[in-house]
Amino acid sequence: MSRHYYEFFCPVKVIAGRAALEHIPYELTSIGAKRPMIVTDKGVRAAGLLDPVIATCEDSGLEIVCIFDDVPPDSSISVVRTIATLYRKEKCDSIIAVGGGSAIDTGKAVNILVSEGGDDLAKYSGAGVIKHPLNPFFVVPTTAGTGSEVTSVAVITDEEKGVKLPFTSSFLLPNAAIIDPRMTITLPPHITAATAMDAMTHSVEAFTCMAKNPLSDAYATAAIKKVSQFLPKVMNNPKDVDGRLELAQASTMAGIAFSNSMVGLVHALGHATGAICHLPHGLCMSLYLPYVLEYNLETVRQPLGELLLYLEGPEVYSATPSSRRAEASIAALRNMRNTLYQQCKLPRTLKESGEVTYDQLAAIAKMALDDGAIMFNPKEADLKDVRAVLENAWAG
Amino acid sequence: MATKHLRPLGSKAKRLYVNIMFQVIGRALQAVSEVDDEVCNEARSLPTGFLFQMMVMPKGAGLLIEHVGDGRFKYHRKEAPRPIDLSIKFKHLEHAFLVLSFQEKTSVAFANDRMLIDGDISYAVRMTRILNRLEVFILPKLVAERAVKAYPHNLQLPEKLISAARIYLKVATHFIKTARAS
Repeated sequence: MSRHYYEFFCPVKVIAGRAALEHIPYELTSIGAKRPMIVTDKGVRAAGLLDPVIATCEDSGLEIVCIFDDVPPDSSISVVRTIATLYRKEKCDSIIAVGGGSAIDTGKAVNILVSEGGDDLAKYSGAGVIKHPLNPFFVVPTTAGTGSEVTSVAVITDEEKGVKLPFTSSFLLPNAAIIDPRMTITLPPHITAATAMDAMTHSVEAFTCMAKNPLSDAYATAAIKKVSQFLPKVMNNPKDVDGRLELAQASTMAGIAFSNSMVGLVHALGHATGAICHLPHGLCMSLYLPYVLEYNLETVRQPLGELLLYLEGPEVYSATPSSRRAEASIAALRNMRNTLYQQCKLPRTLKESGEVTYDQLAAIAKMALDDGAIMFNPKEADLKDVRAVLENAWAG
Repeated sequence: MATKHLRPLGSKAKRLYVNIMFQVIGRALQAVSEVDDEVCNEARSLPTGFLFQMMVMPKGAGLLIEHVGDGRFKYHRKEAPRPIDLSIKFKHLEHAFLVLSFQEKTSVAFANDRMLIDGDISYAVRMTRILNRLEVFILPKLVAERAVKAYPHNLQLPEKLISAARIYLKVATHFIKTARAS
């Protein structure tokens, strides 16, 4: 009898492509929502990204009842409470989160409060605490990397206690994710690069870590192929609408993959580095990916070798001996990082980032060791191992 | 019409096995915290009074230990004196049996969604490391290699045997004391 077992779940309706935003009014009204609220941040609003969302709703006679545009990069319980109060005051019945990871996580957390009632968000923290479906919730991502539009997790800071509260429930999944290339076309090059490497890392870890499964594998490999093909094109021509759409879809596919297979040591290190040195998540992913793959190499040689097909295409794959494909996959990722460094100075090492000091490595290692993602890394890593990976990532 | 059905013998045997294993592992966790410095150091980071539970959902067998301070655990035979800080819950008896009979590694069981974590994830990671350390001491190497992700290459046979003997002795003593007290 096979010992293999897996679970896979993604009920999010993905609405993707040109003029995807114009589907929002129909999709909202089809599930009975008539008074939507937009949750976003100032950067998104200043970039004019809300305009097409508002216009499309107005065209269809659907009023956006209110807009909260002050979500900070690290959202907190007090911000969530403020938005929930506004939602109730304006008698809203649905939320459209427009933005990156923080706006989306905030939208998820607000939806918990306004659906479940009360003001105590902390009591819903943890896994499986929410037992009922929440109010209609739509997500319009404005970066192509986090995959938050298809994940069942939100992280909100409790500023009084100084801790990050995780929320995990399938009820946090949005009703719909709207992927429209207009929302990412103005992303600056270094953010395009870092977020695409975030999606790449989600996919590579989904494909090589312990909870990989046939369905997450399919999404992960498709996402890797799209990032490999279209990131260079978009970096050369940022106004490439088709390329932007491909990257946005890759991000969503990578999100579906990793939320059903989990991630590993790259994320454990990235979470710790983000918390201690305040480096952006996508950049951390790009920094650590090759060094962690080198550490995991002998444990993941076979799946990592398979990825060469999606990273470099069939010619390179077939010309590379099977015994060298895993190393060639790592080399392909290193080449990708080198190109991005030349194009937008995306750092390749901790030292190059200029934001991390050598003295901080010990604290990063200690924190990474207690990160939940490390449980799914295919190779066991103790403090010495994690420190060794950090030493490699320090100066390359 | 009677709706209660008879449980098959295999299920009863698994239930009994899982129950006994929880009692052994609970006592062994207390013992290993008194024997091994590495476990003691890991446990020291937990808050004093921290209550850790492993159980089978919904209200099946389980174990409960408390960090009483300075890296030492205490096994609780009865109900939790206050709300539990961290609970690792097997979704079904069969899943607990797979892990406790060492057919499925703890890490694989997490990856396979066999268990739910209720509490701080970082403490769950720490407790998993402690459970792994316990398993490499008390199980024969061949069995331990099936139970943990990586068998520690620096654990020499004399250290393993001496630690295992001390843990088993403490577990046996605890069982005897329990039997006398009841």
